[in-house]
Amino acid sequence: MMTLGVIRFDIITDYAPMFLKGAWLTLELTSVAVSVGTVLGLIISLCSLSPNKSLNWFGRVYVDLFRGTPLLVQIIIFHYAVLPSIGDFPTIVSGFVALSLNSAAYIAEIFRAGIQSIDRGQMEASRSLGMTYAQSMKYIIVPQAFKRVIPPLGNEFIAMLKDSSLVSVISLQELAFTGTIVMGDTARVWEALLPVAALYLIMTLILSQFVAYLERRFGKSDIRA
Amino acid sequence: MKRFLKVITLCIMVLGMVLVTGCGQKAATEGGNTQATDKTANEVKTYKVGTDASYAPFESIKPSGEIVGFDIDVLNAVAKAEGFKVEYVNTAWSGIFASIKEKNDMLISAITITPDRAKEMDFSDPYFESTNYIAIPENSTISSVDDLKGKNVSVQQGTTGDEALKKFLGKDYAGIKRFPNNPAAFLELRNNKVDAAVADSGVVLIYLKENPEAKLKIVTDAKFDKEFYGIAVRKGNTELKEKINSGINKIKASGEYDKIFEKYFGKQQ
Repeated sequence: MMTLGVIRFDIITDYAPMFLKGAWLTLELTSVAVSVGTVLGLIISLCSLSPNKSLNWFGRVYVDLFRGTPLLVQIIIFHYAVLPSIGDFPTIVSGFVALSLNSAAYIAEIFRAGIQSIDRGQMEASRSLGMTYAQSMKYIIVPQAFKRVIPPLGNEFIAMLKDSSLVSVISLQELAFTGTIVMGDTARVWEALLPVAALYLIMTLILSQFVAYLERRFGKSDIRA
Repeated sequence: MKRFLKVITLCIMVLGMVLVTGCGQKAATEGGNTQATDKTANEVKTYKVGTDASYAPFESIKPSGEIVGFDIDVLNAVAKAEGFKVEYVNTAWSGIFASIKEKNDMLISAITITPDRAKEMDFSDPYFESTNYIAIPENSTISSVDDLKGKNVSVQQGTTGDEALKKFLGKDYAGIKRFPNNPAAFLELRNNKVDAAVADSGVVLIYLKENPEAKLKIVTDAKFDKEFYGIAVRKGNTELKEKINSGINKIKASGEYDKIFEKYFGKQQ
């Protein structure tokens, strides 16, 4: 490992407000992307599983499209082409839209796996009790599936935290971009990027702890042998 | 268990092959580099030149992949006058200064000579005079750099325009939107996401000329310093620097430089 002299902590404290501002933007982007993505993802996964032909087609096409193209390209297309043709939106909206839609595709597949992992017997039992397909899904299947997918969902949240750095390409000053700006400003590498790495690590650890808490809380009703 | 072992062995073999090819390529390039710096009188040396080819009219890429522009013509003329060859490598602006340390032998990319940059690399004599212009929509009332206070302005990250805006509007000014390349900064202006864009004079002039439908106009401000472009070489590479300087002098004396200038910018004032 190459050390370029002693690390100048005064640079880090100087730029601390900038780093924290960047971390805040990263958190904002990730939380919106993940919340909207979860709701949208659930809807799309239900579409992919639906016996209705057009809903089914829509679900599969959506997932293929947003998983099959790079997130970077999606961000650029939304910001420079799609959104300007609809109206005048602040840049952060492009970030929210691109990240949410992308996240929804991956989360849809996570939900689909969860739903399909629920024993067929559950659906059969609820149907024989007189519930419709929709009611069975809403009251029996999806709640159980949701518990199952908390670990992979948490994984997706943590991945989105890092993926959000791609919005730097449309000039949103989130944490990673702030790091390169400070590096350009000061011509120092460690002082610029160590705080960035540390902040990402802290955010990831907090998120992991939150996911672990969710697992415990939702798992309370499980029967332990 | 047997199948698992087979899969693992296959992965290790593939990984191994990738690493070996990677090492092989590195050895080949290193061999090539030492060849370029060898003092063999009858060998024509080829230098790798880094350039960010998204900066018309100085350097840009044609659909065929060929890099063209004012900088290219100037360096080609210098190379011809001095008897060496050049190979252009399209290098992203964000990594171009780091690339002079190992990958590239020289850089020509409308790079302004500044004291900070001169700490990391050596520059040739100036070969072009420039300044920063502000591009604004036709109906905008902005008339100076001070009018940008309170407004949003886009710029390519790490350019002298970026430095100037930081100086005039403040290091933490939130309205400066930084982009990895210049076309993105202009596109932001055309989509009305920012009120102005700042870039080198030559680039702004050409952009307005080639995009009349964008309905933009230029604002100049004496607060922007006069800048001079230089060709960068690795720190300490005096031999190459002197070669380039000699070449620049030759093409200026022979009128070749004036011809190239006229081709892109019309007669010099």
